[in-house]
Amino acid sequence: MHRHTLTLAAALALGGTLAMAEEVRVYNWSDYIDEELLTKFQEETGIDLVYDVFDSNEVLETKMLAGGSGYDVVVPTGTFLQRQIQAGAFQKLDKSKLPNLSNMWDVIMERTAQYDPGNEYSVNYMWGTTGLGVNTKKVAEVLGENAPIDSLALVFDPANMEKLASCGVHFLDAPTEMIPAALKYIGENPDAQDAETIAKAEAVLMAVRPYVQKFHSSEYINALANGDICVAFGWSGDVLQARDRAAEADNGVEIAYNAPKEGALMWFDMMAIPADAPNPDGAHKFLNFIMDAQNMAAASNYVYYANGNKASQEFLAEDVIGDPAIYPSEETVKNLYTVSPWDAKVQRVATRLWTKVKSGT
Amino acid sequence: MAVKVFAPWDNPDEKPLIRFENVTKKFGDFVAIDNLTLDIFEREFFALLGPSGCGKTTMMRLLAGFEAPTSGKIELGGQNIVPVPPNKRAVNMMFQSYALFPHLTVWENIAFGLKREGMEKDKLNARVEQMLKLTRLERFAKRKPHQISGGQRQRVALARSLAKAPKLLLLDEPLGALDKKLREATQFELMDIQEKTGTTFVIVTHDQEEAMTVASRVAVMDEGQIIQVATPDRIYETPNSVYVADFIGDVNIVEGKAAPLEENQVRIDWAEGQPPLVCTATQPFDPGQTCYLAIRPEKVMITAERPEGADNAVQGKIHDIAYLGNISTYHVQLSNGTIIKAQSANTRRIARRSFTWEDPVWLSWTATAGVLLAR
Amino acid sequence: MRRFLLIAIPFGWLLALFLVPFFIVVKISLSDVAVSIPPYVPQFSWETGIGTFLRDLDFENFVFLTTDSLYWKSYVGSLVIAVISTFLTLLIGYPIAYGMARAPEEWRATLMMLIILPFWTSFLIRIYAWMGILSREGLLNQFLMWTGVISEPLTILNTNYAVYIGIIYAYLPFMVLPIYSALDRMDTSLIEAAEDLGCSRLTAFWLVTVPLSRNGIIAGCFLVFIPALGEFVIPSLLGGSGTLMIGKVLWEEFSSNRDWPLASAVAVVLLLILVVPIVLFQRNQQKQQEAEQ
Repeated sequence: MHRHTLTLAAALALGGTLAMAEEVRVYNWSDYIDEELLTKFQEETGIDLVYDVFDSNEVLETKMLAGGSGYDVVVPTGTFLQRQIQAGAFQKLDKSKLPNLSNMWDVIMERTAQYDPGNEYSVNYMWGTTGLGVNTKKVAEVLGENAPIDSLALVFDPANMEKLASCGVHFLDAPTEMIPAALKYIGENPDAQDAETIAKAEAVLMAVRPYVQKFHSSEYINALANGDICVAFGWSGDVLQARDRAAEADNGVEIAYNAPKEGALMWFDMMAIPADAPNPDGAHKFLNFIMDAQNMAAASNYVYYANGNKASQEFLAEDVIGDPAIYPSEETVKNLYTVSPWDAKVQRVATRLWTKVKSGT
Repeated sequence: MAVKVFAPWDNPDEKPLIRFENVTKKFGDFVAIDNLTLDIFEREFFALLGPSGCGKTTMMRLLAGFEAPTSGKIELGGQNIVPVPPNKRAVNMMFQSYALFPHLTVWENIAFGLKREGMEKDKLNARVEQMLKLTRLERFAKRKPHQISGGQRQRVALARSLAKAPKLLLLDEPLGALDKKLREATQFELMDIQEKTGTTFVIVTHDQEEAMTVASRVAVMDEGQIIQVATPDRIYETPNSVYVADFIGDVNIVEGKAAPLEENQVRIDWAEGQPPLVCTATQPFDPGQTCYLAIRPEKVMITAERPEGADNAVQGKIHDIAYLGNISTYHVQLSNGTIIKAQSANTRRIARRSFTWEDPVWLSWTATAGVLLAR
Repeated sequence: MRRFLLIAIPFGWLLALFLVPFFIVVKISLSDVAVSIPPYVPQFSWETGIGTFLRDLDFENFVFLTTDSLYWKSYVGSLVIAVISTFLTLLIGYPIAYGMARAPEEWRATLMMLIILPFWTSFLIRIYAWMGILSREGLLNQFLMWTGVISEPLTILNTNYAVYIGIIYAYLPFMVLPIYSALDRMDTSLIEAAEDLGCSRLTAFWLVTVPLSRNGIIAGCFLVFIPALGEFVIPSLLGGSGTLMIGKVLWEEFSSNRDWPLASAVAVVLLLILVVPIVLFQRNQQKQQEAEQ
């Protein structure tokens, strides 16, 4: 529903060159790049860039597993990447075409090797945590000054949610994020792989679902920024983008992001090249362009997500590199957890659970 | 003992079934019925005759209740029916298109009106059977309208409109969709049924032959007005105007100036170099008044020699012959170019007929053969 | 030879565009979900042969449909929504069609145009427009608050009411046009005949107009009911999380859950449910054609 194709190619064509130019098609998350980088890429390489966006891993995976998506670069999250590699959806990177690979951060590469052993198929784009986006003033009005805005109890305790319902709560429409969080809240292993444990998340989610205004994975950025909702369980950078938009609009809305103190999911969005990419050569050029230290820093400065690029750190703005919500301290990192993909049968239990949570049936 | 002639219109004491009193109907600026007054009597078979657009269909729709008069009064059996809606009138109509309900069988079509009355089942069944028998449709009771012929449909429409035993039955061009043979047979059937049921029929037609055949009286209409109302023979023999004379049958019209003679005789000066004509007039004419002599072709004699003692005789030559089998019509051109039609029965075989093209002939007629009209 | 070709073309069309895809869907519905491209097994291969391939197919997904109440509740939910919205569309569409058919001749082309005009805009855009109209801060609530009819904004968007409004709006032309064409063909003297035979305006309408527009009503109802049953755009945009419609479930199974075999099983069952009304519709059409001959 949120596809807007940036036809920068058309703008360039107006400049005079109408020849059949080389083309790279990129499929990335919505609100996930500084669009000036896209123009810069076209100017530097002369390659036309078609840039489409999605807002759910499931939609991307459907396209990947159907095959023939026509994209040259896609950006799945680690868990999904792992499964799609197994399905044979991606091609190995030709590292000789990626000189900027040396810029990458070994700490992050170690972590991403969990999904992509040897980092053979992918490079990290951004990473972050899933947590609580809070409209501080409104939540204080509803729950008082001592509201647990850094705890999962804010969104999983029905007593809190009942009160918050009046000012609006959004949840991510992503079972792979919400179910582990619910398990974490009740003290279960968030990376549980058995159906029985996963089923325990149902009661937690069902208890609060009547108070959730919407399950959606991108609308909450604007909703938070406009003051339409007061809490979103969402992705760190998205919440920080909302914070900035509110500040720009100067509408009196103050947004804060908190990784839950019980532990937050740490995720990695990985750039990979589909096995059937029409222009793998151009795809490598795009990857190398993004891995340029200055370019990567520009992206992070824009979207408020941490990246896996060590060299970029010297170009990062102070409010990015210095914000523990983006680049958490060593201490916090210990408290973060990661998850791995479910197998097909467990997946069905999880998705069914999620349908039930969303529809109430 | 003389047979009692059915002529209630000649009896001043007779109460009419229908009375139109100064009825006017306008559609916007168009005047469909212009201040019309007319009586129709019980058991009459009354024909409204005229060209399309003369107002005859509007008359019928006024009677059925589908239109209300702009001014004036319509009475049925002494009661003003203008405010009565169509479904409350003891009047039924047989539509030009028959308007049979295509989703109902013949039986159900005939029973439709009776069911609306809430008639008991036994009585209803009997009545429908009676109607089927009257119109000889017993075998088709179970069929749908699209499964029977045009003539049969016409009879279903008739049966349906008669089933409720209306005081007045309106027939809108009832035979228009039938071919000539079937039409003629049906005309007699209609008359038969009208006589059997004793219902008053008002028929609208543009076919003068049909009107003449079936009707007890004919009203000739033009531009929203009735020009003449009379029995068919009188309409034919004594039309009151050139319009009526011309509309009904074939006629020769000779225009001239009147010169009254003694005893209703009028001399007509009509063309240079032609002898004046003489006619017995039924109305007075002033000297020099424009008048029209209407004379039917069959009343004009055609002879080779000038007939002795004829009131009127003119000479010409045969311009054309229309052979119609039983009769022939001769178109005779006079020396001034006027064409007069004369008709004679073909009592002899064709080879022995006396006249042929370009033959010089005499046309003659008596003073009483034609009608002298002022308009 | 020409005869053969005449028959072969429509049958070839049917085979290529309906039967072949349908059998592919049936085959997928008998497969198992897997992490592969495409995301199900078994894949047919010439080496293992057709025997092994067939042995791996099973009805597990259909069994699964019966074990989870979500599915039959969604089928029932869709049926209820489709039936109610078809009925409401008829209720609104009939007077519109009637008005059009009785309008002066010179107006009819314009009225017809007005009915067809919305098709010039994308369906999706029109449904998005309804989101703007029906939301809490939307035009409808603003208008009602302004007139003073309500003091609190009504929650219509994301409820079943919004789904009904969307379906009725989107499918109204499919109801109006066949009824209009039936009424337009009707001889108005039939109504006069009925009145002449003792019917009031209202009884004439019930006894003559309605039965004679029956075929139009049936065609209109099917044209609304069949797509409404499988509708997924309207419930997913206008409906709430509580709106259970099988089209939405199918979409989620396919797209969010990536469970193609189960999604195919849902689709096959939906088609079987639709076969009954479609066959009835066909028979009605045939009867109508016979009646016209």
